[in-house]
Amino acid sequence: MSEILKVRNITKSFGGLTAVNNLSFDISPGETVGLIGPNGAGKTTLVNVLCGSYYADSGEIEMDGKRITRMKPYERCHLGLSRTYQIPRPFPELTALMSVVTSALCGKKRINRGLDDAGAEATHYLEFVGLFSKRNILARDLTFFEMRMLELARALATTPKLLFVDEVMAGLNPGEANKAVHLIARAKEEFGLTIFWIEHVMAVLMEAAERIIAIHFGEKIAEGPPDEIASNEKVIEAYLGSGWKGKAHA
Amino acid sequence: MVDAEIKRDRIIIRHKGKKWDWMLEPRYWRNTMIWTALLVVFPIISYFVSPILLTTVITANLYAAIAIPLALMTVGTGRLNFGPNFFIGVGGYAAALLSIAYGWGPLKTLPFAFIFSMASALLFSPLVILARGLYYVLLTLLLPLVFMEVTFIYTDIFKGDVGLSGIKLLVNLGRVKLNFLACAYISMALMLLYLLVVNKILKSRYGLIMATINDDEEVAHGIGVNINKVKILAFIFPAGMIGVAGWFYAHYFATFAGITYLPLSFMVKVLLVIFIGGRTQVFGCVVGGYFIAFLEMILISTLGEIQPFVFPIILLILLFALPEGLFGIYRRRRYREYLPTLHVRR
Repeated sequence: MSEILKVRNITKSFGGLTAVNNLSFDISPGETVGLIGPNGAGKTTLVNVLCGSYYADSGEIEMDGKRITRMKPYERCHLGLSRTYQIPRPFPELTALMSVVTSALCGKKRINRGLDDAGAEATHYLEFVGLFSKRNILARDLTFFEMRMLELARALATTPKLLFVDEVMAGLNPGEANKAVHLIARAKEEFGLTIFWIEHVMAVLMEAAERIIAIHFGEKIAEGPPDEIASNEKVIEAYLGSGWKGKAHA
Repeated sequence: MVDAEIKRDRIIIRHKGKKWDWMLEPRYWRNTMIWTALLVVFPIISYFVSPILLTTVITANLYAAIAIPLALMTVGTGRLNFGPNFFIGVGGYAAALLSIAYGWGPLKTLPFAFIFSMASALLFSPLVILARGLYYVLLTLLLPLVFMEVTFIYTDIFKGDVGLSGIKLLVNLGRVKLNFLACAYISMALMLLYLLVVNKILKSRYGLIMATINDDEEVAHGIGVNINKVKILAFIFPAGMIGVAGWFYAHYFATFAGITYLPLSFMVKVLLVIFIGGRTQVFGCVVGGYFIAFLEMILISTLGEIQPFVFPIILLILLFALPEGLFGIYRRRRYREYLPTLHVRR
């Protein structure tokens, strides 16, 4: 019962392609868990299944002892589950402040919440990600990095317990990526989050994550502390291919 | 327990851990007051100057009264409904048939017109969940056309070919001119009521939620919006409001024929009201309604036979020239954020 998220034998297939195959893992409160895998390994599908965008074909998901396998995304959000998207999906016609206000209004149920109260709270989250000066700019006019940050603010404003971060580094330059990583670490401390971090780049997770799960073709191939994962034969094979040793010698 | 509290600039209502605040900001009321006063004075002036304008005013008010709920429906469902006249047909036929069968007056048929059009919308509400994009447009476009066929097939009930007659008049003050004046004011009251209600909804938290659904449904679902509930409510409630416009048509003309309101030509006019006025701008709907009703009237009286060609050409030019509609011109010059900018002091 101590786990915040329990995943048991999740399978999801699209037609003949099995994107996630018989995957099981746990996440404890306060942890930062990384999920890595090569292209097409099923990372984003897994997040979509956990957040409710897709329903799993079989298997069970439990959050805080509640079965959420067939729950709709908004119900999972009310339980304290939030996500960011790999490609930023802001609300293009809303200002930065208003998009965060919506998630402060609609996220986890809070007592005596009016539009103004949500506005005041949203301001705090916008300031946290450093977008306060851009609050009245339409979300579609923000830069790529700012859209990322806006997504983070929007996810934080629902007051989640568990935050899924989907490839926050993709498309950012090293300076911005560094900022983003520090911000997520700060958010974890300040808001007491548990973070499930999907990433393509190993180096980031080596620093940030306490435990890494590696998947390939939808199956778990390794799980453990970052150092172990980095030297794991199967992981290296998944990333570089099976013939890499022989070719390196030849 | 509902707990209301009046403060300097707002009324706060609390109920079961939920809180609504109703902003009262008289500094934003000036322009609304001026325009409303102009609108209200217009029929009484035309009553003395040229009473023929009264019918145009009624037409314009009804165009606006159809377009305003349609704007709410468009924002709330995130889809453009191409068959708003289906609900006019349902509301109008409900009022007409009940008035003929039981001899009911307009006040008695009003709730039934509202309820019947909401029920018909509830019946077709799965459309807003299942269909999207072009399929939604096609399906909603077909609804009024199918309904028109039904009025022809069951012609002993609906009198599809000649129209129902013998409906009680909306008001009967003894003189035709006075009747028209009263109808003009009733239609204007209806339109202003819709404007007030829809504007209030769109400026509230529900409007904000609808805006997120309009922008990106999946993300809205992800941040905790129950999108199906919001979309269905945003489909049913405006449908009832549009049905009341059908009720008005039935009692105003004392006859009701589906062939007047259900074909494409009427629907195109309603959509043009929205597009010329300004997309999903509720105030633009009023501007567009008056603009189209008066343009049509002027062209019919001056051009005569070539009017059917000139009218669409002018509208097409306007559609290209004014992408944000007539209200967009005003809005671009004097744009105001809805919420006053928040100031955080350190």
